[in-house]
Amino acid sequence: MIPDSAFALQGLVKRFDTKVAVDGVELAVPAGSFFGLLGPNGAGKTTTLSMAVGLLRPDAGRALVLGHDVWRDPVRAKSLIGVMPDGVRLFDRLDGTELLTYQGLLRGMAPDVIDARVTELLDVLALTDAGRTLVIDYSAGMKKKIALACALLHAPRLLVLDEPFEAVDPVSGAAIRDILTRYVAGGGTVIFSSHVLEVVERLCSHVAIMANGRISAVGTLDEVRDGRTLEDAFVAVVGGRVSTGSELSWL
Amino acid sequence: MALTFARLKLRVLRNGFRGRPGKVILFVIGLLSALFYGVLAALFFLIPFVSNAPDWGAVIPAFAGTVLVLGWILMPLVWFGVDETLEPGRFALLPLPRPTLLRGLLIAALLGVPAFGTLLATSGLAIGAGVAGGPLPALVAAVGVVLGLLLCVVVSRAVTSGFSRALRARRTRDLAAVVLAVLAASLGPIQFLLTSGAQQVGTERLTAFADVLGWTPLAAPYVVGLDAVHGDWAAVAGRLAITVGTVLLLMWWWSSSLESAMVGTSAGGAVRVRAATGAPVARFFGRARLPRTPYGAMVQRELRYWVRDVRRRASLITFAVIGVFLPVVTNLGPSADGNIAAQSVHGGSMVLVGALAGLGIANQFGYDGTAYAMHVVVGVPGRVELRARAVAYSWYIVPLLLALAVLNAALRGDLLLLPAMVGTLFAAYGTGLACATHASVWAAYALPENQNPFAINTGTGVAKSLLAMAAWFAGMVLAVPVLLLVLLGGSVGAALALPVGLAYAAGAIWLGVLTAGDILDHRQPELLAAITPRT
Repeated sequence: MIPDSAFALQGLVKRFDTKVAVDGVELAVPAGSFFGLLGPNGAGKTTTLSMAVGLLRPDAGRALVLGHDVWRDPVRAKSLIGVMPDGVRLFDRLDGTELLTYQGLLRGMAPDVIDARVTELLDVLALTDAGRTLVIDYSAGMKKKIALACALLHAPRLLVLDEPFEAVDPVSGAAIRDILTRYVAGGGTVIFSSHVLEVVERLCSHVAIMANGRISAVGTLDEVRDGRTLEDAFVAVVGGRVSTGSELSWL
Repeated sequence: MALTFARLKLRVLRNGFRGRPGKVILFVIGLLSALFYGVLAALFFLIPFVSNAPDWGAVIPAFAGTVLVLGWILMPLVWFGVDETLEPGRFALLPLPRPTLLRGLLIAALLGVPAFGTLLATSGLAIGAGVAGGPLPALVAAVGVVLGLLLCVVVSRAVTSGFSRALRARRTRDLAAVVLAVLAASLGPIQFLLTSGAQQVGTERLTAFADVLGWTPLAAPYVVGLDAVHGDWAAVAGRLAITVGTVLLLMWWWSSSLESAMVGTSAGGAVRVRAATGAPVARFFGRARLPRTPYGAMVQRELRYWVRDVRRRASLITFAVIGVFLPVVTNLGPSADGNIAAQSVHGGSMVLVGALAGLGIANQFGYDGTAYAMHVVVGVPGRVELRARAVAYSWYIVPLLLALAVLNAALRGDLLLLPAMVGTLFAAYGTGLACATHASVWAAYALPENQNPFAINTGTGVAKSLLAMAAWFAGMVLAVPVLLLVLLGGSVGAALALPVGLAYAAGAIWLGVLTAGDILDHRQPELLAAITPRT
């Protein structure tokens, strides 16, 4: 059976105390798509993605990876996805090579495969020069890159990335974009969250906009844009306020 | 200004409790036990003032005061950590003069359960002085009590910040160097206890000793009430001067270490980049002969982390110090002869230390913090995870325990005791480790992501320590059968102790890892949430 959506979220709900962070998210990510999850701060993007990959237990709903339920059949589902969480530390008292090797061994990969892929990934991401510098001493951009490498190492069918372009300089950003584009061209599926609209507009085939814990708009990039720029569409969906220019006059 | 700090501290405390009934309950338990022991100690402190043997009186405040101050020095290092709710670094950007900041932090530090308990306990001195000598001695004693509390709080702050600076000074610093330094530092007290304990303790020796203590900062603030009752005002002035001087000196030390805490912990100077050579997998494992599997990888990572992570290193070192200190003291007490009571004391100290050794992993996931998310994402089986962690920890602890046993047997002058000692020690280590493994799954808590290895979050710290304490106690109780075998089994028991103890330990760890591992499989996201610091 080949499900038509690589990644499906069905009725995901998460409450923190009394606040509803995610309120029944329904999402189907088509196989082979480059999917951008947009939303303002606090919309519930990170919470949704955390529930989708098994980091946070949902109060209700299901998450399916290529037909496997992340919460019922975690072993199978987790082996198919590569994850890059945001706001999460790495095992940062290892150096870059050690961290990647550790990830590979945890995934149960063969040592010779690990050797080849780790060397190549570090090379492509321009991290070879860091040598034995511990990850804790890396810059923010380098940390993002090594985290991405961790997600890619076992060649998953689906990549779930939380804010992959945050705090990344243009050169590293371009490198990450190239890798992801090539990955999708090779048949993989990517879903990532972001609020950098121009990156989303340039890369994505599909877009969903999240606000207040719900999916407010979803579809292909052109469907969501509907003749406008993505920024206009985003503001229209989220409901931003319009500045009159009279505030903050003391500045 | 100081009031603002106090309000801020209370606010942070209160917000920490919001929506967490379990945390509130544990906090209340902590508060109630502080109340209970505080009142008990206060009654104890009353004794010298109402007792019929006045020449015997100074002994109680002198010794109890010393124990109290030493407790404030040692407990944060060993057990509770310092409450860093108001972390100095967070005030770095505010235009606060140093004295104001220091005063504010001090006030905030005074607002806590331990300080409350201490004040309650020592208040017995002021009440007693009032009963025995009227209002003026009561006032003097009260001043002493307040100064004593200040001394306790400041000394714990100063010592922990000084100690943590020493530990994080160089990431790559050799573990052995620090261990040696700490051991050398603790040689003084050991020798002290040696000489005083070796001689037969008599009343006149005790009072003489108490006299000396009364003139050190350790007990000076607690003896002034008694002086005032006796009308010895010169002594009162002298002791108060000693206390104030010590407090000021410690404040100055704390203040200077605050500087480095506020400027930040970025590694000093440029980091020299060394090139990585060799195939990644071979380099990851180094010379370790571990299987190239998830299990082997985790063991290797844990082995690295016990050395590279400041917090873990601090925990190993403090255990090494306590582990040497405790049984050595009990073994060299006055009861060095071979009766059953003395033997149970020695055996009991082995059980105590063995179980304490296991306790080192009671918050093993808290050390990792959110990095543990990687294991959740990969979906590491719980049993494999816990087995790897137990093996890696034991790699460091087992040689230490062996050395301890040899040291103790040598000190008692009878190496034939070694097998029974090792058996008891390891049995307790096994049960302690098994209980601590369970505690680490059930009662993990977040450690703040700053560099002070002794920092903990308020409330949770004390509360979860109680759970760890329960694990320690359970570990000791579970090891009692082996201790009984040694104590009551005669020569047969002594001969069997080693194999039985080792098998007992192996069985306990195996069972602990199996049961806790199955629980972990169902608790991974919850565990991750528990060790994620709330920002």
